[in-house]
Amino acid sequence: MRDDHFSSTWVVCPAYNESSAIVSVITRLRQAGHDVVVVDDGSSDDTRQLASTLATAVVSHPVNLGQGAALKTGIDFALAQGADVIVTFDTDGQHRDSDIPRLLDALVRNQADFALGSRFLSEPLNMPRMRRILLWGATLFTVATTGLRLTDTHNGLRAMTRRGAQALRLRQNRMAHASELLAEIARSQLRYVEVPVTIDYTTYSLAKGQRTGDFVMILLDLLAGKLYR
Amino acid sequence: MIAQIALSLLLGVVLLYAWAQYRRSPIVTVLSCAVSLIGFYFVWFPSHATRVAELVGIGRGADLILYVWACISLVVLLNLHLKLRTQHELLTQLARSIALANATPDPSRISSLTEAQTSQPRYRLADGPRPGQTADQSA
Repeated sequence: MRDDHFSSTWVVCPAYNESSAIVSVITRLRQAGHDVVVVDDGSSDDTRQLASTLATAVVSHPVNLGQGAALKTGIDFALAQGADVIVTFDTDGQHRDSDIPRLLDALVRNQADFALGSRFLSEPLNMPRMRRILLWGATLFTVATTGLRLTDTHNGLRAMTRRGAQALRLRQNRMAHASELLAEIARSQLRYVEVPVTIDYTTYSLAKGQRTGDFVMILLDLLAGKLYR
Repeated sequence: MIAQIALSLLLGVVLLYAWAQYRRSPIVTVLSCAVSLIGFYFVWFPSHATRVAELVGIGRGADLILYVWACISLVVLLNLHLKLRTQHELLTQLARSIALANATPDPSRISSLTEAQTSQPRYRLADGPRPGQTADQSA
């Protein structure tokens, strides 16, 4: 849908064992007036119970499948609810709900189908040097493999129109989904735009986030995905 | 001679398997076919294997054939890994269907529905940046 307003915006929050962060994240999103679907990815703590008291809807994977799978489930759910725009938002507290209106504005102003958050267009806060180097490598890899001109390729904060969401074919369950999503955006040939967003690096979000070794697994997953139809 | 026939039969099975896999993964088929055809050749012309083995710095032709078998095993291993991935994709679809079938949003909590009753769009692009917001700096 391309219009000057969106009547139904859903925020998709994939969550796996996020009981210590989820309450504040969902509360803030709800206070900002967003419809929130939490996708509980088979958590073993009380993430689902906490989310069900706060979120608009909770979808629960019976087993842990990975963040990519959770995002896809959330996007499918939001589409089924008639969402015009879908925002993906990490549940570990690293994103700011105040960045969401900027993404929605960017969609409308640029007549784009994807608005991708970039921490490098604004000043990143407390970003560890190793993380910066890894993300730089990931960006080079994405530019080389997809041709997209981006500054931040592994940012969980994005907004997409209904048409954009429907164009995505997501098959990577684990961390390789971020690269796959960008490859799908390139394949769809729909318009995308990057928007500066702020990432709050906390001890908690860093512990939950990707580790150096994960990047090797991401590359292997992407390679295996290419070998098989 | 018995060993040659037995090995040829096994390689024939590998070829059949590779052919059957073509639709699912052409790369696996091409690799399996190449490796097993090379295997065929060396099984029936072991002296050539010895010559090639010496050429690439391996002592005996028998050793070279052993290595070819090791290669086939690796290709089969790769194929098994890829098959496991396919199985996992099916599991994902199943889990997703179950999750979505069990999810029932509470209509009273859906902001867009509540606001539809008052016919006010929840989000509207203002002419300029909204209060507390900078102008769009998108790339």
